[in-house]
Amino acid sequence: MIATAVGNYPKIPNSPGEPKLRRAIAKFEREEISEENLKRIEDEVTKDVLAEQVRAGLDLLTDGQIRWEDGQIYFARKIGGFSIDGLIRYFDTNTYYRQPVVEGKVEWKEPIGFRDYGFAQGLAEKPVKPVITGPYTLARLSQNSFYPSFEELVMDLASALNREALSLQGADPPWIQFDEPAILKHKEDFPLFERAMNVLTSNLKVKTSLYTWFGDLEGLYPQLFRLPFDLFGLDLVRGRGSFELIEEIPEGKGLGLGIVDARNTKLESGRELVEIIKRVSQIVPPGRLHINPSCGLEYLPREIAYQKLALVAQAASQAEEVIR
Amino acid sequence: MMLSTTTVGSFPKPGYLLKARAQYSRGELNKNDLYELEKKATQEVIKLQEKVGLDILVDGEMYRGDMVTFFAENMEGFRISGLVRSYGNRYYRKPIVVGKVKRLKPITIGYFAFAQSLTSKPVKGMLTGPYTMAEWSFNEYYGRKEDLVLDLAEAVRGEAEELEGAGAKWIQIDEPAISTRPEEIELAIKALGVVTAHLRAKTVTHICYGEFEKIYPKLLELPVDQVDLELANSNYDLLELFRRHPFTKEIGLGVIDVHSHLIETKEEVKEGLRKALEVLSPQQITVDPDCGLKTRTWEESQAKLQVMVEATKEVREELEGRLKE
Repeated sequence: MIATAVGNYPKIPNSPGEPKLRRAIAKFEREEISEENLKRIEDEVTKDVLAEQVRAGLDLLTDGQIRWEDGQIYFARKIGGFSIDGLIRYFDTNTYYRQPVVEGKVEWKEPIGFRDYGFAQGLAEKPVKPVITGPYTLARLSQNSFYPSFEELVMDLASALNREALSLQGADPPWIQFDEPAILKHKEDFPLFERAMNVLTSNLKVKTSLYTWFGDLEGLYPQLFRLPFDLFGLDLVRGRGSFELIEEIPEGKGLGLGIVDARNTKLESGRELVEIIKRVSQIVPPGRLHINPSCGLEYLPREIAYQKLALVAQAASQAEEVIR
Repeated sequence: MMLSTTTVGSFPKPGYLLKARAQYSRGELNKNDLYELEKKATQEVIKLQEKVGLDILVDGEMYRGDMVTFFAENMEGFRISGLVRSYGNRYYRKPIVVGKVKRLKPITIGYFAFAQSLTSKPVKGMLTGPYTMAEWSFNEYYGRKEDLVLDLAEAVRGEAEELEGAGAKWIQIDEPAISTRPEEIELAIKALGVVTAHLRAKTVTHICYGEFEKIYPKLLELPVDQVDLELANSNYDLLELFRRHPFTKEIGLGVIDVHSHLIETKEEVKEGLRKALEVLSPQQITVDPDCGLKTRTWEESQAKLQVMVEATKEVREELEGRLKE
């Protein structure tokens, strides 16, 4: 059983911790420090965040997405064809992102996450997984001012992000994670989604996971599990309904159990978490389970995010003992 | 008057106030000194609105950080958590509900009364609604969200009624979170009903653009006189919905994009208004920007409002001319 994170991690600590990155970005915006200096701070903070995840007890880390302004821009800035527009709400949260606008053919031109991934992988004491925002979600959260149809945009993005995944595969990661929360809001699009996922994962030899959040699988079960991924990450806090739905999943596939609420400060009871894991392990062998928060942790203050990860790690190791 | 003009609530804080707020949070400035600067800024906001020629004024919310955190800090049952990122390099302290929520003392009354004392035009009382307060706080106490929302409704009701007592002719209860969860609109309607049940003042609620098709026309059941909506930044798309199902309440019509640095032209605003008048009556409409102005600069805010007021005036004259004929 693997304890892991879903993606982002709060970028600044609270006092007495020092909000290094927030200060550095403000200074960079006022042109008081160079881009190089800002990068160095981003590196430092990434290093801290990797160490924090190890301290919390995780087995599989992310780089905390410290350099990501959000899950969309990080890719849209480097994929050709996008411009960046005004602020818009991210799903039903009180968090906003600058909306990418598709103004031309989208094309992968250069590695996007390769350098950042390599940096994290080189430093961390535990394996790190790179994360890619999936083509369906990226298309849904963008504004399409170019393609005659949404389908064409999704399929071109799938090709572009497939190339990004192939580039990351070159760094030999243990997993590549793809994020596709938007499909839970548009389940009727599954046929298109399936085509896109096939393109997205073509020629990948590395193990892949598909993470979703902010909803359940009603209307996507069982077909979601036939998609070409090794593991499926589910938000079992805001998508509690998925528990009742899932009776079995295909042989060899795994689940990422998002059982710790990444959107509320209240800490879960460790005993209840272990109970949930025990229940699920009757359907999926424990060796194919990842235990993680329900989504990225940036909705929480840093110190609570850490406690949530520690909870995840404790629950995973206790459950493993109990099951054994 | 048809086509009255107003704003949604927030204005940019002057540099000296931002600095003072930072000093206050580090313990380098006392509450009284901060309050004096808040009053100074409020005076400037009122003066700006009068100069531009708006009809219904606001106090500009010089005392607020975040719209939910400010009220939470002044109620019982909340603790303020650490910093959470809102977007880009912006962070706010999101409140945590840790006990039964209650309003113990007036929260905005003093600020309202001060602002109203500066002008003979009506100043709106400005509150954050119970549904949004609940939705945008962490909850560690209530087992059922409805209980939290309804306790908050009681708290906000107390503040709203006291605002009315202090002379507020308009009371705005912002509920931007309503459009993010269409499945919970019944709860939001119920809670807002608690707040407005005994008010005689004109009531408004501001809702931001979200999954609008899913809450319209249900949204017309919100127990307020006026619903304030963003039209400009969605290219007036909402008017199509109103064509299919008439908008039966008064509407606060957002005609200025608050997220853009660009100053609209008078023609753009007039065109928007004329488009709106195809599906809405002039008596129904109050003209305002899409949302609060706090992310714009002082100069941008003034320029945008000036354009809005002039464009509205010209359209009003067109309408009056047509009436005379």
